[in-house]
Formats: sequence, C-alpha cells, structure tokens
Amino acid sequence: MLKRSVVEHTLEAALETGADFAELYVERTKRNQIGMANGIVETALGGMDYGAGIRLFCGSRVIYAFCNDTSEPTLVRLARDMAATVKGSRLQMLSRWQENGRQNINPIAILPDGVAKNRKAERLAAASAAATAYDRRITQTRAGFLDVTQEVLVANSEGVWAEDKRVRSRFSIEAIASSANEKQSGHLGPGGSVGFELFDWIDAEETAREAARIAVTMLGAGACPAGKMPVVIDNGFGGVIFHEACGHGLEATAVARNASVFAGKLGAQIASPLVTAIDDGTIPNGWGSANMDDEGTPTRRNVLIENGILKTYLVDRMNGRKMGAAVTGSARRQNYRFAPTSRMTNTFLAPGTSLPKDIIADTPYGLYAKQMGGGSVDPATGSFNFAVLEAYLIRDGKICEPVRGATLIGKGAEVLMQIDRVGNNLKRAQGMCGSISGSIPTDVGQPMIRVKEMTVGGRG
Amino acid sequence: MESERFLECLIQTALASGFADCEVYYRASRHFGVTVLEGEVSDYENSALGGVCLRGTIGGRTGYAYTERMTEDALTYVVEAAKENAALMPESEQEILYRPQEAYPVLEAENTDLEKLTAEEKILAAKKMEAAALGKDGSIASIDYCALDTDWTEVAICNSYGLSLRHRKNDVTAYVCAIAKNGEEVKTGSHFWKGNNWKNFSPAATGKKAAAIAAAHLGAIGISSGRYAVVLDGAVMARFLGVFCGVFFAENVQKGFSLLAGKQGEKIAADCVCLRDDPLLAGGYASMPFDSEGVPCRNKAVIEHGILKTYLYNLKAAKKDGVASTGNGFKGALPAPVKTAATNFYLQKGARSQEELLQEMGNGLWITDITGLHAGANTVSGDFSLSAEGFLVQDGAVGQPVEQITIAGNFYELLQRIEEVGSDLYFTSSGNGAPSVRVRQMDIAGK
Repeated sequence: MLKRSVVEHTLEAALETGADFAELYVERTKRNQIGMANGIVETALGGMDYGAGIRLFCGSRVIYAFCNDTSEPTLVRLARDMAATVKGSRLQMLSRWQENGRQNINPIAILPDGVAKNRKAERLAAASAAATAYDRRITQTRAGFLDVTQEVLVANSEGVWAEDKRVRSRFSIEAIASSANEKQSGHLGPGGSVGFELFDWIDAEETAREAARIAVTMLGAGACPAGKMPVVIDNGFGGVIFHEACGHGLEATAVARNASVFAGKLGAQIASPLVTAIDDGTIPNGWGSANMDDEGTPTRRNVLIENGILKTYLVDRMNGRKMGAAVTGSARRQNYRFAPTSRMTNTFLAPGTSLPKDIIADTPYGLYAKQMGGGSVDPATGSFNFAVLEAYLIRDGKICEPVRGATLIGKGAEVLMQIDRVGNNLKRAQGMCGSISGSIPTDVGQPMIRVKEMTVGGRG
Repeated sequence: MESERFLECLIQTALASGFADCEVYYRASRHFGVTVLEGEVSDYENSALGGVCLRGTIGGRTGYAYTERMTEDALTYVVEAAKENAALMPESEQEILYRPQEAYPVLEAENTDLEKLTAEEKILAAKKMEAAALGKDGSIASIDYCALDTDWTEVAICNSYGLSLRHRKNDVTAYVCAIAKNGEEVKTGSHFWKGNNWKNFSPAATGKKAAAIAAAHLGAIGISSGRYAVVLDGAVMARFLGVFCGVFFAENVQKGFSLLAGKQGEKIAADCVCLRDDPLLAGGYASMPFDSEGVPCRNKAVIEHGILKTYLYNLKAAKKDGVASTGNGFKGALPAPVKTAATNFYLQKGARSQEELLQEMGNGLWITDITGLHAGANTVSGDFSLSAEGFLVQDGAVGQPVEQITIAGNFYELLQRIEEVGSDLYFTSSGNGAPSVRVRQMDIAGK
C-alpha cells in the first residue's frame, strides 16, 4: 500500500532520538452497510477509511500518532514530532524486512464489495418477511448486512513486513413481538471472515424465525425470580460468560498493570478441573480469525486454561516486554486510530463429556439461560454482569415456564471454580468486543455448562 | 486538497452528475492524549484527522457516502457510491436538506488559550492527578488508569441551497481510576473532569475524589433480595437517561420502537419530573449551535411537571409529523446517516439536597453505580436489570457499602415512581445530567 522507501524514511525518522522500536501501520478499508426496518431499506451506507498509525517504544513508554494523509512529507514530519518527545541519541538500526508467507486461512469465495447492493437487500427482505410471518404478534423487524474489506500493512524496525486482507460479512436480524402494553425482542447476528457466501453457510430465513420465536416466547413470560440459584447456560453465545468473566482478565493489557484478578496466577488452579479454555485466531473463516495480528505476528491457537490450570495470557508486544512474556499473536485494534493491544480472537470453552439432557435432568431447581445477551466486566475486580435474552426455570430436572428480565452477576474467579458440568455440544457465536483498542469482531463459544450457584437479578 | 475547496468541488461534482440537491458534512479533529502510570508517561498519542460525508437526492431518493481521503480521485468515488446507495433507498425514506432561514445562536466553544498549553504542562497535570489518587495513607493499592486528553473539533456543513456553517470547539478530559485493596477484596473508583478552561481544573481534587470513591466501597457486604426504597445517585440517574433517551426520539416513536406513541400532552412521569434538552447550555459537554443538518439548535422542555411536551425531531421525522425540526438531527460517526440525538439532556434540579433525600428515605439503599447498561437494558420495552453498587442507609445515615446486587425495573415506571428530585446536578461526559432522585421501591437481587 505504501512504497518501501516511504516506510523506510518514516521509521528512520522515528528512531532518530533513541526510541528502541518503531512501527508503521497502514490501512485501507471499504465498508458497506445496509439496514432494513420492517422490510424497508432504512440505511444504505458505504465509504472508505484510510489512514496510518505510527508507534514508538521507549522502554515501557508508548508513543502513538495517526493521520489520514499518507504522503511521505506528512508521515516523516509526524514521525519526527513523535521522536522529539524522546530525548536521547539513536540506539536502533532498521532490520532487513522479512515478508510473511503464510497460506491464507480465510479464503473468500465471493468478494462482498463487488456484490450489487440490491442483491444484499433482497436477502434482508426475505429474512424480514420470514420473521414477520412467524407469528402475528411480530410487529417490527430490523435486518442488517455489513461487509468490510480491510487491507493492512504492518512494517517495523525489527524486520517485520506483513500484509493481510481481511474480508468479513455479518447478517443480523431483530424481531420485536408486541402485546397491548409490552414489547419483547429477539436478535441473532451470524457472521464470519467470509464473503457473500455467508448466505450459503447460514439459513437467513431460519435465523429470522428463531429471532421471532425468542421474541414471542418472552412476550408471555413472567418476571424472573431474584436470588442465588444454579444456572445452566446453553451453548453458543452462552460463551459470553467466559469472555467477560475470565477472558478480559487474561489479556496482558490488564495483567501487566496488575489490574487483573488473574495476574500472578500462571500454573495455578483458577477454574474447575472441568474447564479447558482456548483462544484460536486460526479457525478457518472464523469471525475473529486473521492471518496475522495487528503487529504482524501470525495468529495461533492459545490454550489459556487446561483442566482448570492457567497456562498463558494473551500477550502483545509492549505488555510482553513489561511482563517478560512472549507474544501470542493477540495484538488487535479496530483501525489505524488505535494502538494495538492484547485482545481475544475466537475464544471458547472446550467440550466436556456431559450430555445436555443429563445436565438439565440433574438440576432440581435453577435457571436455564438459553440465549444470552451481552455483558461487561471490570477486570480489576473481576465483577461481571450480563443479560439473559431467553430464560426458563428448571424444576425437578425439567425445563418449565419462560421468565424475562434475568441478569447474571458475579465475580469471574468465583464462577470459574463453580462450573460443575460441561456438555459435549460446543458451538460458537459472533460478537463485537469493545475495549481500549476499539471495537473488534470476536467469537465466543462453549458447550452447555452448569454453574453451581450464581446471583440472578430479576423482578419476580 | 484544502478542505474548503474539496467541499465546494464535491458539491459541484454531485450536482453535475445528476443529484438534484446535496449537502457536504465535514469534520476535522486534533487529539492529544497522555496516559501516566507510576509517575511516568506510559502512552502518548497525537492525531490529526479529517473526512467528509456526502448526502444528496437523486431520482427522489437519498444517498450517502463518505471518504477520509480528500483527493481529486475521491470526488468521483464518493459521488458514485452515494448514487449506488441512493438507488437502494425507497422514495418514502427520502431525507430533506435544510434551506437556511433562521438566525443561528452564538456559542463560544473554542478557547484558544487551550491550544497554547504545552505537552509538558499536560503531562505534569496528569502526573499530579495520579499522585493525588495514590495518596499517602496506603488505602489505594494502585492506579488502574490515569489519562489526560485534549480535543479540538471542527464541523462544517454546506449545501446546494446556500447553507454554509462552521463551528469549532475544544476541551480537556482528565480521567482517573484508582484501585483500593483490603486483603482479597478489590474495589475501583473513578472520576473525571472535562472543560475548556484549564484554570478550573484541579488535578489533585480529581485524583483524590477517585481515591475516595474506591476506598469508600471497601468492606462491602451482600444483602438479601427484596424490594428496597432507593435513592439513585445523580450519576446513576444520568446514565439511565443516556441509555433510554431514544424513547423520546420522534423517529423511534414513528417506527414503533418507543412506547411513548400518542402520549404527547399526557402525563408520563411524576409531578416533580422536568426534563430538558438544552444544546445552548454554557459549558455543556454536548453544546452545539446547529445540528448535523444545519438546523439551529434551541433549548426546550421535553417533560414539564410530568407532562410530555415534545418528541425530539430531525428534519425527516418532523416532516412526517407535520411539525418543525427541534434541531436534534445529529449523526454519530462521520459515515453515519443523520439520526436523532439529545444534546445536554437533563433532569432539572429540585429543592432538597442529597442528604435530605437520604434522610427522608430513612431505611433503604443509596445506589452509586450501575454497570451493564449496554446489555441489561432493553431500550424498546424499557426493562432493565443491572449490576449495581451502593450503600445501606439506616435511619437516614449512610452505612456499609453493598456489592454483588442487581437493580431491576422499567424506565417508564421509574419516571412515574420518582418521589423527590435533589438539588445536586451531575453530568456524564456525553451531556446526560440528573440530580439524585428518591424512588419509592425497586427490586434488588442479592443473596
């Protein structure tokens, strides 16, 4: 995307005053987005993001700057301005660039940027119609399709010259069911590092009916009872519990600052022996997959927790330097406006041996959280919260009436120890994860699990 | 290309290629940010950005496209992309461009003194803030995050009807989060300062406040589930308003995404509830003289003594209802279409202090923090169930801190159940504001 000489001159200028590492990141991203409300196109947007970010390290200090003018004079001037904040003499020479030559893990069949927008709209219209037709109580629908084609170049003073093209597509559907005085919604959003063939991989209309089913089910539901009880969390997006309760606390961003409850716990039993957790950025066409991370390090499969024992953190270059740990291919950023830091990619709990029907049958009383909503966590305290979109009470080992408005709260370190059943039905689901380096696509996932006791918030 | 020339060229290119009318929205920003950790600069950030978004009407349909590359070749790319997007839109969704007719309020939001502040002065202030948060008495174990940012933003809007507006603003945001520890127990507390008068900023006071919040929450206990009388701190009530303000947007009402349809002129809240949207508030974090469509902004009552006075309108929603836009047609990010947004959106002060509200409540809970709003709040139904923290209140006196609870309810009901509004007024950094409020009863889940 940029001439080698421009990159070279920029990095040379950045190193002039004693910085011990310099990196240039350049990005050109085309995005297209269509939003439909009640079967009518409501938004059709598109455009181009374009810019560069320069990063310098000086010991444990990070200096970051970005702009969207990538002409050589501008980049060199910006690099000099940054170098001026470092007061020393030159320490580093540029190393020879080695290009990355990895086989593409995310082959794309149909580039979505080239697909006519009306073809995308037709898919959304069909899905909206399927949701509306599901039940007469479905009064509104929202459907969306987003495709992003991001081309990136990362070059640094230590010999990395790495380029990647990331194509992602995501379909989303929300159905709203109404009664005289109440509205409930259900939504799903499957996607991947795929092109327009996403619609061959998923059944958009079936997905829409599933969203409608959730909305209608919750419409009649009574309020969820509050208090401590066993909670069975179903597979797929249920993995958000691990993402929030534990994943963020394993990011070096929090660990290096000693702002995580899991800091200093490598090799320790931090979870029930039933728990094995993996972050894998190499799953072919996975939503959170890429050939390389945003520092140019190839992505990989990291076993975070094995049989309850903490094996590794997710480590980026700067935090690795602070912690004395090797990088794990986990440095990510939303775009050139953010310096990269350690983040999750596709994170999931490995399958166990229990059959889902046995987990339910073995639960005399509790909450069955079938569809999870989103959540958040304070990594320093480990306190998390998340919403349950579709929930039922379990009595005498049977799934009984649906309940609405349930929230699960707890502390990551405690909940991990309380997992007493892990099912054999692993499934992943897609989400957007927000943190200091912006909003990035991540997969969550798990088989059905049971937590012995959790605080459930509700109004019943 | 120079921004002014690029805007002019873009309008000409769009008109020449068949657009009946068009508008160009330009936004440029400069940002400086510094994060300190243990007395040293850990992160340092600098940026200069600019970009434009075109909106225009072609064949009775509205199309948008944007670019961050402001070069000759980008002109055609943007115009062609906007055409393709327009072709997809139904005629019924056509948006209206503003024909300038009214005078604009004057709003001074750029303090040029701030631009003269050196990086060293900003770094020193951030270090002072961190040192003050850490304190000397050992109650604070470490600092989670301590940062100081300065932002300068310029917005310009031009259209083919002769509209030509420009507004500049700048400010400083200082934010610090302290970690207090007692054995295994960990609590965080954060505080921020935002403004464009550097002289009003006390790094020490900001740091100490964050530390005091973290330390006060140590020794927290769990409580039994049940119904409790509650005082919601202003910071909590302001965040509720931030999340649920969409129910007051006409476009959501028209599309069935709000339960306030047909409620204009009706009583929807307790008598003590007066809610305003004031874009002209002096020093307001969300103050603007005009919205993203170029419509002049004005101060207005949304709820007056419990009565819903108006929805918030952009030009398109206003046309549907046959009324004038309230000047709330804002876009989020540069690429985003014009939707609706509130500005300085706040509950007006009452007469009693927060202490008096706690005393009147007698026994109950003072809720000081809520988390999980992006997931635990349903903006359509108004239902919420959120993780919360606070303090027990006994006989009007603040007692032990409380943790691991959730607070559940419904926003529409909450408005009706407010019994008293305090005289303290807190604003979030995005401009949502509220005093502390006393609420009859709320559902709490705990042990």
